[in-house]
Amino acid sequence: MSDNILARAGKMHGDKIECREKYKAQLEIKTHRDYVLNLLTWLKSERYVHLSFMSCIDWIEENEFELVWHVFSYESKNHILVKTRLNREKPWMHTAINIWPHVQPYEQEIHEMFGVYFPGNPDLSGLFLHNWLDLPPLRKDFIAKDYSLALYTTDALGLTPPFDDIDIVEITAEESRDGE
Amino acid sequence: MYLPDGYTTLDKISENDDYAVYDLFFGPNHPGMHGNFGYVLDMVGTEILRVRPNAGQLHRGFEKAMENKLWAQNLSLIPRVCVPDPDPNEVAYCQAVEAILGVEIPRRARYIRSIVLEMSRLGSFLMGMGGVGGALGHYSTMYLMMIDRDLILDLFEALTGGRVYHIYNIPGGVRRDIPDGWTDKLLELCDRLESKLPEWDRLLYENPVVQDRLGGLGYISAEEAMSSGITGPSLRACGVKADVRIDTPYAAYDEIEINSKLSEGGDALARAVQVRLDFEEAVNIIRRLVKQLPDGDYKLDLGNISKLRVPKGDAYSKVEASKGEFGYYVVSDGGLKPYRVSVRGPSMPAGMYLCHKHLRGMKIDDVAVWMASFAICPPDIDR
Repeated sequence: MSDNILARAGKMHGDKIECREKYKAQLEIKTHRDYVLNLLTWLKSERYVHLSFMSCIDWIEENEFELVWHVFSYESKNHILVKTRLNREKPWMHTAINIWPHVQPYEQEIHEMFGVYFPGNPDLSGLFLHNWLDLPPLRKDFIAKDYSLALYTTDALGLTPPFDDIDIVEITAEESRDGE
Repeated sequence: MYLPDGYTTLDKISENDDYAVYDLFFGPNHPGMHGNFGYVLDMVGTEILRVRPNAGQLHRGFEKAMENKLWAQNLSLIPRVCVPDPDPNEVAYCQAVEAILGVEIPRRARYIRSIVLEMSRLGSFLMGMGGVGGALGHYSTMYLMMIDRDLILDLFEALTGGRVYHIYNIPGGVRRDIPDGWTDKLLELCDRLESKLPEWDRLLYENPVVQDRLGGLGYISAEEAMSSGITGPSLRACGVKADVRIDTPYAAYDEIEINSKLSEGGDALARAVQVRLDFEEAVNIIRRLVKQLPDGDYKLDLGNISKLRVPKGDAYSKVEASKGEFGYYVVSDGGLKPYRVSVRGPSMPAGMYLCHKHLRGMKIDDVAVWMASFAICPPDIDR
């Protein structure tokens, strides 16, 4: 069931957007950061009322973050991925909570996991992490193994290895069988 | 005030001449809570003033872990994103990978996937309906439903080798074919489940206590539900005919008749009734799937699956799970591992956003019922 949304989007927004059909009933629209809210508002007025969720991708080699809004229409049954790229050095994006209020926890999560700022979002406090001081963990330059080794080895925790003050008595196989 | 050893008083947030506000941790250790999740409630007496979701206690970094594992290794990780209903995760992930690969799986594999998805839905609905009963104190309903859920798990064990986590779907199809005689057992189970429905109706849905407690609780209008990301049975309970199986058919659902009935009302009672209606329809869908099950291959040969290389690209794939839309957004950079996997869980909109609106002014006894009616499952919030 097509509502010809791509042709109408091209007519309405011209060269500000770049759109194509990825798969059956799955479309993609790329735009500039400052134009995303206009586009999302227009899509909502075109009965794309369901914001499925929002995700973020760290393209570290291109020094960019990519934000993706997943929008769906219950009438045309099309799923649209609205994408924009942010500079990785100072990432920020206008909040979309005035269009879809339930985007708030998603923005909160992306702020926590990638360090993207959303000016206008009233609550960007920590959602999942506890006492986190390192890089936001879903960034590609955060290496989970190095983090664990730096924090949770016995040296890092200031602990002595547990076997230092224990007398280790070697038991031969025969002795252990006798015990049973 | 006398307190036994080991007990502490609640934290007092503020007080004036008339009343005081106390902080109450509803979860993670609460019988009405479905996992390591909680709400911090600011209470006056038994009434809730303010709510703070206390997430993160179940966070296992799935999305990060998936970036460091092979495409096939991730299959053992993803079912854990939703414990009672694991198969939608597997199917959504595999479908996204297949879409990027540009392959189409055999027809028989699509049917087997649909059968597994419907069985998983039945198991999860039994747990959900039992959960509503449990939250209301009707434990016998819950225990009776757990018996039937175990029978479903037995069939899963015969088919996949696993009871709770099946790891049965792989990119290209399913891991093994249906064993001889298994479909007959499945049809017997369908008859048994259908024959149980009148008993559950008497125990739960026609019970005046249940109707009084659920009626009017957590009302949401159709417009509000659609624009706040509510999906699945909770959205259908507002009278909206929305179902991923019908809207964007996947697996074998384009060849199968789905006559989903809608309950209306938008409150917790309507949502509970909707789950019961969907349960009845899922039993019928399994019968149709078994009847139309075609012969042929059950998987596509993609070579050594642990050396699977997925070309550069991205795809979003969604599945109608028992709680709503479960989606996987998979990004590949052409390597042996995913570049990014982003999970859309159905519990986030209700559990993290609607709670602020709905729980305010509610009595503390209704919080567990409200959560059960929206089928809030913490593992897909903390993923």
